[in-house]
Amino acid sequence: MAELLIQQSVNWITLGSIYALFAIGFSLIFGVLNVIHFSHGDVAMTAPFIALAAAQALSIAFGATAPAWLVLAVIVAVLAVGVIGAVLDKVVIRRFRDAPAMMALVATVALGIVIRELIRHLYPQGSNPHAFPRLVSGVAFEIAGVPVSWLALLVVAVTTLLVALLFVFLRLTPLGLRIRAASEDRIVARMMGIRDGRVFRATFFIASAIGAIAGLLFASYAGVTRFDFGVMAGLLGFSAAVIGGLGSMPGAIVGGLIIAGIEVLAQTFVPDGASYRLVFVFILVIVVLIFRPAGLLGRTAMEKV
Amino acid sequence: MGGPASPAAPGSAVAAAVVAILSQLCGAAFLYAILKADGGWEVTGLLTLLGLGFFLLERYPAMGDFVTASLARVPLVTMATAAIVVLGFPFLVGSNTYILHLLIVAQLYAVLALALNFQLGSANIPNFATGASYGIGAYVSALLALNFGMSFWLTLPIAALAATLFGFIIGVPSMRTRDTYLALVTIAFGVVVQQLLNNFEWTGGPNGLVGIPAPSLFGHSFASPLEVFGWKLPSQANFYYLSAALVVVAIVTAQRLHRSRIGLAWNALRADEIAAKAQGINVAWYKVLAFAVDAFLAAFAGTIYAFYISYISPDNFTFLVSVTIMTMVIVGGMDNIFGVIVGAFLLTILPEKLRAFSDYRLLFFGVVVIGFLMIRPQGLFPQRLRQYGAHR
Repeated sequence: MAELLIQQSVNWITLGSIYALFAIGFSLIFGVLNVIHFSHGDVAMTAPFIALAAAQALSIAFGATAPAWLVLAVIVAVLAVGVIGAVLDKVVIRRFRDAPAMMALVATVALGIVIRELIRHLYPQGSNPHAFPRLVSGVAFEIAGVPVSWLALLVVAVTTLLVALLFVFLRLTPLGLRIRAASEDRIVARMMGIRDGRVFRATFFIASAIGAIAGLLFASYAGVTRFDFGVMAGLLGFSAAVIGGLGSMPGAIVGGLIIAGIEVLAQTFVPDGASYRLVFVFILVIVVLIFRPAGLLGRTAMEKV
Repeated sequence: MGGPASPAAPGSAVAAAVVAILSQLCGAAFLYAILKADGGWEVTGLLTLLGLGFFLLERYPAMGDFVTASLARVPLVTMATAAIVVLGFPFLVGSNTYILHLLIVAQLYAVLALALNFQLGSANIPNFATGASYGIGAYVSALLALNFGMSFWLTLPIAALAATLFGFIIGVPSMRTRDTYLALVTIAFGVVVQQLLNNFEWTGGPNGLVGIPAPSLFGHSFASPLEVFGWKLPSQANFYYLSAALVVVAIVTAQRLHRSRIGLAWNALRADEIAAKAQGINVAWYKVLAFAVDAFLAAFAGTIYAFYISYISPDNFTFLVSVTIMTMVIVGGMDNIFGVIVGAFLLTILPEKLRAFSDYRLLFFGVVVIGFLMIRPQGLFPQRLRQYGAHR
C-alpha cells in the first residue's frame, strides 16, 4: 500500500507539474489580453513535432544520431513555438481583444482545428502517433523500493525552475513590470507610455514557449505524441487555470496539481477509473466553480456600475 | 417593424410582394445550386458569389433593409412563398437522397442553433453543452424505443423533459459563475455527459445504440417512400418534412419568446446584468430558464436525429459538436433568427461540399470560420434593434 501511495504520488507531482505549465500559459495570456486562447494546447503540442523534425534534419545534415541533437532540437522547438505564438497573436488573436469573449473562444477553437490539421498534413504520416524519445532515461533513486525516474525528476526540476524564473521576470525586470501593468489596466498602461503591442508579443512568446516545454515534457512522459493531443492538453490546462483562478500564477500551479491529483486518484482507487477519469476531473471542475465562482485563488472583482 | 411609415419599404404592396417572392426564390435557387454543385470550381465559384453578396450588403446596408422591409410589408405573401419553397423542395431534388439527407441534418442543426440562440444570442450566456442536451434527447428516446418499444411520438416529450431537467441542472452553477468561468462549467457538463455515454454499459458504450425503429404516423411508416399525388419521394422526405415542421416550431417559439417579457428580460441580461438586477429582473431565474429552453428544443432535434439515422454513438455529441453549434450562431448573427438559420445551413453544407478538397476540408473549414469572424464580427446578419412606435 505504501509503495502504491509513493508511486502514485510521484505520478501525481509529475503530471501536475506538466498541467501547471500548460495552465500558466492560459493564465498569462488571459491576464494580459483578457482573451481565452483556446488553441494554446494545440500550439504547445506542435513542439514535439518540431523537435522530432529538427532532430531528424540535424542527424541527416551532420550524420550520427547523437543525443546532443535532441537537446538542440528541443531548444529549436521551444523557440519556434514561441515565435508561432507571437505570430498567431499578431495575425488572429489580437483582433478579438475587444470582441465579446465568446467570439475569441470560438475563433481560437477554430484556430486549434487549423493548427491540428496543419500538423497532420505537413508532418510525414501526421495522422499516426509518433514515438517520442525520453529526454532522460534511467532511474534516479528509490524511495522505499519505489524507483523514481530521471524524467520525473527533470519534469519537477524544469517546472520549479520555470516558475521561479517567471516570478523573477515578472517582479524584477522592466518588461515584467510592463506585462503586469498591462494586465492590471491596459488603457492606463498605455497612458504611462507602455506599448501594448510589444507587451502582447512578449506575453505570447513566453506563454507559448512555456507551453512548448510542457508539450515536450508531456510527449516525453507519455513516450508518444499525436496531432490531436493538443485538444486534451488545452482542455485540462484551461480547466486547471480556471479552477485556480484566471490570471493568477499560484492559482495555475494549484489548479494543475488538483486536476492531476483527481486523475491519479481516479485511476488508482476507482475500478475502471481510467476510462472515467475525465468524468471525475470535470465534475470536480463544476463543484469547485459552484463554491468558488472565480476560481480558488482568483480575485472576485467588484464591478462598478 | 416595417409598415407604411418605414422609409426603406417599397411604395406599393404589389412591389413589396414581388420583392418578397423574388428574394426568397433567389435564396432557394442558391441553396439548390450549392447543394447540386460538385467539384472544387463550382463550389469555389458559388462561395465567391456568396462572399460578393455579403460584401455588397456590407457596403450598401440599405439593400438589406429594403428586402427586410418588403418581406415584413406583406407577411402573408412571404409566408406563403416560404411554405411553397419548403414543401416543394423535395420535389425539385427528386430522388437525390444525399441532398435530402444534407437538408435534414441542416434543419436539425438549425433547430439546435435556434435553441442555443436563446442563450448566446438573447442573453449572452455561453453554453458549450447544447451538444450534450442534443445527445440526452437522442439517447433517452432511443433507449425508450429499444427497451420498452415506445413509439416515436411518445418518446419525443419524455426525451424533451429529461433534457430540460438536465438544462435546469446546468443552470444551477450558472447562477453564480459568469463569462469564461460559466463557459468552462458548460464545457465540463458537456464532457461529463459524453464520457458517461461512452462508458456506461446500458448506453452501448463507444458502440452506441443500433436499430432504432423508424417512426410511423397514421399507419404510414417513415422508412417507406412517401407518395404524394402520384409523386414518389424517397423515404428521407418523411424526415425532411418532420424536421421542417420542427424548424417552424422553433422559429415560432423563438419569435414568441423574443416578443415576450422573457425575451426582453434576456436582452436586458445581455446589455448589463447588474442593471437588469437593479430593474427588478430575477437574473438567476432567467438564466436557468434560458438553459432549460435550450435543452428542451435540442432534445427534440436529438430525438429526430436518433430515429432518422437509427444509429447513435457518443461520437455524435462531442465537445466539437457544441462548438459547431456555437459557431453557427456567431457566424449567422446573434439574436437574429434568420441569420442563425443561414449560419446553420451554411456550416452544415459547407464541410460536405468541401469534400471536393477531400483531406483538407477541416483545415479549410477552420480558415473559413476564422475569416468570417474577422471580416464580419457581427455575424452575417447582425441583430436588429427592437423597434417600438406608432407604425408597428
